[in-house]
Amino acid sequence: MRKTKWMRQLRDEWRRNPAFLVSFVFISLVVLAGTFAPALSPYPPGGLNEQRVLERPSQDHWLGTDELGRDLLTRILYGARVSLAVGLGTAFIALVIGTLYGLVSGYAGGAMDNLLMRVVDIFYGLPDLLIFVLLSLILGRNIGGVLIALGLITWVRFARIARGQVLQAKELIYVEGARAVGASHARILLRHILPNIFAPVLVTLTFSIPAAILTESTLSFIGLGINDPYSEWGTSWGTLAQDGWRAMRSYPHIILFPGLAIFLTILAFNFLGNGLRDILDPKGR
Amino acid sequence: MVALIRSAPISRTIVFFSLLFVCACKSSSPTANERVFRVNLGTEPPSLDWSLATDHVSFNVIANLMVGLTEFDKNLKPAPVIAKSWEIRDGGRQILFHLRDDVAWSDGKKVRAQDFEYSWKRLLNPKTASEYAYSLFDIVNAEEFHQGKITDESAVGVTATDDTTLEVRLKHPTSYFVAITTFEITYPQRQDVIEKFGTKWTEPENIVTNGPFLLTSWKHENEIRLKANPNFFLGTPAIENVEMFMVNEMTTALAMYEQGQVDFIDNHSIPALEKPRLAKAPGFKRVPQLRGEYYGFAVDRKPFNDPRVRKAFAMAIDRSVLPTLLRGGQLPASSWIPPGMLAHNPKIGLLYNPPEARRLLREAGYPDGKGFPSVTLIYNTLEDHKIVAEAVQGMWKRNLGVLVRLENQEWKVFLKRLLNDPPPIFRSGWGADYPDPDNFIKLFSSYSPQNYSRWRNSRYDRLLEQAARELNEQKRVRLYNEAQRLLCEEDVPIVPLFTTAESTVLNPRYSGLEYNSMGRLVLRDVRLKTATGAN
Repeated sequence: MRKTKWMRQLRDEWRRNPAFLVSFVFISLVVLAGTFAPALSPYPPGGLNEQRVLERPSQDHWLGTDELGRDLLTRILYGARVSLAVGLGTAFIALVIGTLYGLVSGYAGGAMDNLLMRVVDIFYGLPDLLIFVLLSLILGRNIGGVLIALGLITWVRFARIARGQVLQAKELIYVEGARAVGASHARILLRHILPNIFAPVLVTLTFSIPAAILTESTLSFIGLGINDPYSEWGTSWGTLAQDGWRAMRSYPHIILFPGLAIFLTILAFNFLGNGLRDILDPKGR
Repeated sequence: MVALIRSAPISRTIVFFSLLFVCACKSSSPTANERVFRVNLGTEPPSLDWSLATDHVSFNVIANLMVGLTEFDKNLKPAPVIAKSWEIRDGGRQILFHLRDDVAWSDGKKVRAQDFEYSWKRLLNPKTASEYAYSLFDIVNAEEFHQGKITDESAVGVTATDDTTLEVRLKHPTSYFVAITTFEITYPQRQDVIEKFGTKWTEPENIVTNGPFLLTSWKHENEIRLKANPNFFLGTPAIENVEMFMVNEMTTALAMYEQGQVDFIDNHSIPALEKPRLAKAPGFKRVPQLRGEYYGFAVDRKPFNDPRVRKAFAMAIDRSVLPTLLRGGQLPASSWIPPGMLAHNPKIGLLYNPPEARRLLREAGYPDGKGFPSVTLIYNTLEDHKIVAEAVQGMWKRNLGVLVRLENQEWKVFLKRLLNDPPPIFRSGWGADYPDPDNFIKLFSSYSPQNYSRWRNSRYDRLLEQAARELNEQKRVRLYNEAQRLLCEEDVPIVPLFTTAESTVLNPRYSGLEYNSMGRLVLRDVRLKTATGAN
């Protein structure tokens, strides 16, 4: 019954908000493109093709080639892996850390809550770029390092959202009831409170994904991102945009296509997030 | 960055793309103060102490603050500056420099021969730890003093016999020694100033100089300001002030030029891919340089302690591709001494030969790259270096089956790394300090601190010594050929890649900036053009 209602809401949202549907389809295509990048492109993402340097879009190279003759479409397809992995991975790490932290803080209340939230305040006050640079120095400029670094500086938002929701939920009658029948704190938190605060956390999650993608792109653009054309991950879209920026006046296609990939993906995630929020929290519409 | 994440994502997307495209926009109203000439150094000069400086960024600043005994004329021959003349005696073993008596330091004191003697002995003093000390090893007892074998400074063969005469005694006749006196490391220094301020003596409030410009401010990692020296003995420069920026990002530096915020740009400021477009701009010049780029191997460690591995890596590089990628007039080079210099020999060196490279690697125990340890190539952060590194990485992967990781580092960090803990493979370059093969070939001698590969070969050292003493040009060339074969064919501690050319664009409102093949940015004769052509 509940599932049917949710499906109906989803269908209504698709009808009411075509951007939601288009975004869903676009993101699905990006996911498929990144997953099957090796099969979709006849070119390798790394290497050197000195005969085809800086070619404009053509039949052979739909989006042209870069300064080393590498096929730009291939690089963008592989780059989707980095962007999606960073977006989803960062959001997941932040979700787990931040939600658990917020749950404990809000549920404990009093001095413990005060202490834990001051820690959150400290994290908010830290210069993010500096922290990221330090973390990436320690963890390395690879996909794992970037994921952990971004996750560690993003979790605070989830902590605040979760804590706020717990403060409301723990006063509700079903929590009182669970307490009265002797349920443990862990059971109350995980079985009773967590499912009831999950909708706003999920909405936060959908907005964190594009934020993480954009942050990774920005960091790559300033030279702190992922650039490994020979790994299965490839080179991030931000790094591709940085490469293109250097030749923007003479060869605009090198920045145009990675830029569009970043722009459209972030836009799609945002529209998707808006749609999900409308479904999960209709009062906020 | 969390601040970015926390704010509305769509707004940040717009900001991201706005920033991206605003960078390309042209300013309609240049803010240039016409009395200020502005250039981009590209990075912070590691040192303005000319006994310690080792890089062209530092020397580009020093060359505008100081003059020495001689300087190069347009034919790259030493011409008098503070030395009004010199005599070569004792069959070339003694040189007497006669100095002008009208050259003053910026604090009014006269420049004396003793200032040269102090400077040269300070350079040689092991306590100074100058990387360029070996440049003066042709002087009697210089090497022994530098190595601590003798401690008596007066035994070193450089003496101020009076205020205007500097006597130099050489171990053997050295045809290029006068050319060495054009090099900034031989410029005079004030003992009283250095002893008073210690390591802070090059700060603007302390430094005392004798050149066309005075150092007025040095905001580290930001900008250096100079002003014309009104008492410069060759005449006050036409431009009153100079601003030297330290913008490392080439695209930003190019945008600054195109927006009228900089008056002169060179390779530090022109992205490789924009060079063909800039070549059509008014004021553009391309000047071939006596400068070579190479990749070096740390020969004291596995896997590059095996010459077969080094040769394999050298033979897997197709140098002819690199100028096509860099688009700046570079010339592929398989040998080390550059074209335009005595003993340049393009027939020396290992040529591109992938099958032979694979055979050598197989012989060394790495068939098709299997089992080859993970190695990293480190280069200093610059777009051209990145293009070359990625291209060569591709060649090694394709021809040897070896994936070399790439890492870039900021210039000062990079220099320290090369000196203290050279990576398995590193990028480096060398520009002529004086246009003699001695300057290039000595770089890899066992006593050169800039021999970052830590390769030592006594036969190579002996060949250099013999070539330095040899006055017969043909015999010298033969000795250098032999040394180059050792360097580039037999032991291969380095792989020469290409020689460079400097792409420069001077604001057409100015004239007088002659960029020669030594690559020094000398601003003394720069002047603003007027309707009549005079300043």
